[in-house]
Amino acid sequence: MRSFLQNLPVRALLPVAAAFLFSSCDLLEFSPNDHRAPESERDLTEKNLARLLQNPLPAGDTLRFVFTGDSQRFYDDAEDLVKSVNQQPGIQFMLVAGDISDFGFAREMRWVNDDLRKLKVPYLTVVGNHDLVGNGRKAYEAIFGPRNYSFVYGDTKFIFTDTNGREYNFDRTAPDMTWVNKELADRTARRHVIISHVPPQDEDFDPALREAYAGALRQDPRLIFELNGHRHAFSIGEPFEDGVTYINSSSFESRQYVILTVWGDKGFRLKQVTF
Amino acid sequence: MLQHILSVALVAAPLVASASPISSVAAPDTLGVTTTASIPRATSGNSRPWYRPNHVVLQTGGGLGMVAGGAGFTLKDRLELDILVGYVPEKYAGSALSLASAKLLYSPWTLPIKDKWSVKPLTVGGYFSYTHGTINDEEPNQYTKGYYWFSTDTRIGALLGSRLSYALPPTASGYARNLSAFYELGTNDLYILSYAQNRKSLSPADILVLSLGLKLDI
Repeated sequence: MRSFLQNLPVRALLPVAAAFLFSSCDLLEFSPNDHRAPESERDLTEKNLARLLQNPLPAGDTLRFVFTGDSQRFYDDAEDLVKSVNQQPGIQFMLVAGDISDFGFAREMRWVNDDLRKLKVPYLTVVGNHDLVGNGRKAYEAIFGPRNYSFVYGDTKFIFTDTNGREYNFDRTAPDMTWVNKELADRTARRHVIISHVPPQDEDFDPALREAYAGALRQDPRLIFELNGHRHAFSIGEPFEDGVTYINSSSFESRQYVILTVWGDKGFRLKQVTF
Repeated sequence: MLQHILSVALVAAPLVASASPISSVAAPDTLGVTTTASIPRATSGNSRPWYRPNHVVLQTGGGLGMVAGGAGFTLKDRLELDILVGYVPEKYAGSALSLASAKLLYSPWTLPIKDKWSVKPLTVGGYFSYTHGTINDEEPNQYTKGYYWFSTDTRIGALLGSRLSYALPPTASGYARNLSAFYELGTNDLYILSYAQNRKSLSPADILVLSLGLKLDI
């Protein structure tokens, strides 16, 4: 063995090999459900929020953001989306309405982040049903963060909630109505926006919680609109005919997104962009 | 890709080196140096029962477990079937996973290098794996038929690798015995699909998975 090591330039290359082994931890995947990731690719929600809050929006200023959803397995489209969004002036951030991954794998979430991190603005996500497949629940939490969270930017509070009831076998835990009610009851911000993946009128929304969710939204005087994904097609309307506007996003492969501009108490304008 | 293969081969060398003390018992003189290295284990006229494995395997990665161990059968010269049981702790995957896998491997060439060393420069293969213990495994009536077209716990994949072997003293019954270090670069059905549909955004390296392991003939 000694002669083997001496005869070949192995000894000189051993440090290189060791370095490779170290960097190949990523390559040494334990399972597709393995969600280990370098520090820079974990807790992305927290990191994107920190980036957003570095550029605070003064009270009273108009808020403008991009709304899209369902990136799933459309990585080539994601590249083009980023190029298009980067050309939009005056955008503060981008919202993705869930289904970041297709198979619930952390590797997929990181592939999407590889594209979306090239945005000039931060982006924020809500968890979708595909992100909960297999061990996706833990993968999403590792790569992005909590499945229910909120933040205030300028005059607006954004509330992100997991409405993927079917993934929990309709056990009445999604959406977490205790949490949603508490967030909506908060009166510190002038406006509220709530975003989730599965729309309440959809059959994948927990039927036992449909009225509770729609009712809570109906009773919030600060709510501008409710945002969803899941259906891969843009729509805007009042499905419950109760004065609450629901906007559904296009998916990445539809090659469309919307820009939402918000001002005043509940004023908003919607612009569709095709890329 | 080439860089990966080269680097992994280099990684494999010290692994074998660490195994060398086992071989400090001198091999009998009757063992020809070249023949030991290049002749595959006796498989025809084999007096062993069919279920007796020809080798044991221990590996990490490859999507088959943080550690996976098992036994293998030499079906024909150059063709092997390895059955592995793997484990991933909760810390790395969200729940503790146990994986049952079968690998079918074909290694067309065995090349002697020097003394007791030989190399199988190419191993091509495929695998099937079943994962037990995922958090959101499909429950009856959870989804309508075809809601998700893919399985969350069953994967098939392809792999490509090579193997470096060191001849140990033969078994009491005269079977040649090698200790081998191997690496395999592989991928699975869902990763392949992701790449196939996004060749602009993804590169082959994005979907590669590495496994490193040891194989001992018994």
